[in-house]
Amino acid sequence: MTWRAALLLGAGAATLPAWPAPYLGVAVMTGLVLLLVALDWALAAPLHGLTATRTGDRTVRLGGTATVTLHLANASDRVLRAQVRDAWVPSAGAEPDVPPGRVLTVEPGGVATLPVRLTPARRGDRPAGVLTVRSLGPLRLAFRQRAGRPTTPPWTLRVLPRFDSRRHLPEKLARLRVIDGVQVTRGRGQGTEFDTLREYVVGDDVRSIDWRASARHADVLVRTWRPERDRRLVCVLDTGRTSAVRVGDEPRLDTAIDAALLLTALAARAGDRVDLFAADAALRATVTGSGRPALLARLVDAVAPLQPALVETDFELIAGEVLRRERRRSLVVLFTALEAGALGEGLLPVLPRLAARHRVVIAATHDPVLTGLTVAPPTGLDDAYAAAAAWRALAERDRVRSALSRHGVTVVDTPADRLAPTVADTYLRLKSLGQL
Amino acid sequence: MTVPLDPPRPETPPRPAAPPRRRRHRLLIPLGLAVLLIVATLVCHAVDQPDPTDRGFLSPVATGAHGGSRLAEALRGQGVTVRRETDTLQALLATEPGPATLFVPAPELVHPATLGALTDLPPGSRLVLVDPSRRVLVGTGLPVVPGGRRWATRVTDPDAGGRPCPLPEATRAGRAAAVHQRYAARAGGTVRGCYAGGLVRVPWRTEVVVIGASDPFRNDRIDEWGNRALATGLLGGPRRLVWLDLPGPAPAPTGPGWSPAPGEGPGDGYGHGDGPGGGDGPGGGDGPGDGGARDRSDQGSDDRADGGSPWDNPLWDAFPAWFWALLLQLALAGLLVVLWRARRLGPPVPEPLPVTVRSAETVLGRARLYRRARARGPAAETLRAAALARLLPRLSLPPDTPPADVAARVAAHTGRDPEQVAELLHGAEPTTDQELLALARGLDALNRTVFHPSEGDPR
Repeated sequence: MTWRAALLLGAGAATLPAWPAPYLGVAVMTGLVLLLVALDWALAAPLHGLTATRTGDRTVRLGGTATVTLHLANASDRVLRAQVRDAWVPSAGAEPDVPPGRVLTVEPGGVATLPVRLTPARRGDRPAGVLTVRSLGPLRLAFRQRAGRPTTPPWTLRVLPRFDSRRHLPEKLARLRVIDGVQVTRGRGQGTEFDTLREYVVGDDVRSIDWRASARHADVLVRTWRPERDRRLVCVLDTGRTSAVRVGDEPRLDTAIDAALLLTALAARAGDRVDLFAADAALRATVTGSGRPALLARLVDAVAPLQPALVETDFELIAGEVLRRERRRSLVVLFTALEAGALGEGLLPVLPRLAARHRVVIAATHDPVLTGLTVAPPTGLDDAYAAAAAWRALAERDRVRSALSRHGVTVVDTPADRLAPTVADTYLRLKSLGQL
Repeated sequence: MTVPLDPPRPETPPRPAAPPRRRRHRLLIPLGLAVLLIVATLVCHAVDQPDPTDRGFLSPVATGAHGGSRLAEALRGQGVTVRRETDTLQALLATEPGPATLFVPAPELVHPATLGALTDLPPGSRLVLVDPSRRVLVGTGLPVVPGGRRWATRVTDPDAGGRPCPLPEATRAGRAAAVHQRYAARAGGTVRGCYAGGLVRVPWRTEVVVIGASDPFRNDRIDEWGNRALATGLLGGPRRLVWLDLPGPAPAPTGPGWSPAPGEGPGDGYGHGDGPGGGDGPGGGDGPGDGGARDRSDQGSDDRADGGSPWDNPLWDAFPAWFWALLLQLALAGLLVVLWRARRLGPPVPEPLPVTVRSAETVLGRARLYRRARARGPAAETLRAAALARLLPRLSLPPDTPPADVAARVAAHTGRDPEQVAELLHGAEPTTDQELLALARGLDALNRTVFHPSEGDPR
């Protein structure tokens, strides 16, 4: 029953002074109202005649707005007057065009269209909640409402990472073209891969003259070089406990995803093959670089639902997976944190196997709080102890870094906002040196 | 418009909320004004109406607006003996020899056990009750029931009821403000009324006059219309006047002449032949001292004895039956509201919260552990090692420089005392927290002095 039934009964109470027998009046009026409520309930449109379906966007970039439309079809022979609540998880930022309080009317055989605008506040999969339909009677004194009727159509909106480091892409691509030799007019050309033979012109490096080829021809020929193509790049995202640490405003994982996306976009343009793993204690996501045109889209889709987990990362698993899948020499970029405990006990034992086969780069983010503790002048006793602890953490980090360097690993350790361009620069440098 | 149960949304739409609020205001403001007007009227009326239980209400010695001093003056002017009594028993005794008039302006204050005795006065006496309630009427056994009650006292002719008035005093007084509470005969009874039921006379052995309005007797109204003539006519005449001026609710009667059995009919229980016996009851007026406990026990027995009578719980009688029925129905309506609100429009949706770890959590935790363990030695060691690691490259010294050379170079660079610098860089372990803090500050200052602005990051 609704507030109208209560109001009816309350209004009826005002007539009680006029009744000869007031208590009889109470019984009569209560019975009458309950009868009306029962009648209204019986006349309400049945819920089993309703079917709900959804159409609309499946993905949206973080910060954008998606629209998912709910279609409520009334297959019964009665007019449906209903309040509909289409619930989403709070972080989906759902704003229904028809507020749940409004009573909408659907003729028999008609379909109601209920668009919901979603402005998600977080990356990942944002599922729809429970659909609730409250079918009111013609007098709106009573309603039918039952959990699971009609069946909630499942829908999940995948919120893609924002990819803020996109703004670095044009600059990195320009540098890539320089390395590629497209814009180089002089010099030996960058790269180590033999490209073609052409006639010598004045200004070419005499060291690149191919004497044997020149002997066969009447002309002097020079070799041209180009950077290696079809190299392999493997991005490994550590989603373990160290990735949950909030650096600045976002978790380390989000920074790492951003950097991985920039690296992938750059490598895909450079003609390299990109694979991606995300793992903590188990493998969370795998993307292998076939089908290059849609690679970035597939990658974004794969990393979008990744969330940090409070578990210790199993580097044994990661190394095994990389070694099993990548037979050829590749560039393995491991996005993790330079933490003595996690890397020293997890990664260092398996690193020799990995580094023997592949070129390994470890990309990590600084914690600005740590730096702040060491440079701030101590004002209290807590600051003195905190400075000591921070220096010790930094010393441990340096020890880990030198241990990694002994295995020939390149370590990129930068503040969070510089991680993506720095990793891209490292990749371009290695590519220009032909060390892939 | 219903207000459904809605989970908290991150943002509520501001636009659709505005029109209903304005519409609600359009409805609420006139309704609120009306309610305010009604409440103000009710409060003013309640303040204006005299309260019979007030001290000084219709008292012959009270000169206030609701007092009766002017009436007493007028009666004395007519030669009537006015005797003021503040105790029911004393008043009954004062009526004793010969005919008298007993004036009870506030019958509510008379104890229920003594109500029956009021109508049992010496022959030829008259009892005047002002605005008695149903309880008082039943208690005295009068064949009269209260009828309708007016909002304010009305002025009418004595014969306004359509039948001639049986009281010559009223006829003589003419128009008077006597209609406030109307009275009617109980079913089968024969009583005659004046002023359209505002004044009723019961011609028993003791003539009982019931008047529903206090206006004719009150100081502020006695000069209006025929009020003075009516009041002096009712209370005056050849009889003596005993004015029962109770200061508050009367205590239960005590003494040998009284038995707590008020259920008996009027005029048969308390023979005034008991009067002499009762006379020594108040005479030995040590009552209040030792009568406290007895009083209470009497009260209890009274309540038990009254169990079968119509006023077992006075609250039931205080309101008409429809009021209780109305309360019941409103409670049922409230139950419906509860049932309506209890059904929510779908369950709340849980948010899968991400795990968050604050930055530098382990470092700060280790700092707290250092402090709790008072690990000043290791902390100082770490700080000194870090300071040396920063200083040596800046001074272009190899890492294995002897401590004395380092101190000398740093002192030369900063211009400080070499011994002080040596103490700072390679001194003894601090033994107190203050020493550690001083050490940390000293190393920080040293580092800032050696730090060259062009170097960038001081680490």
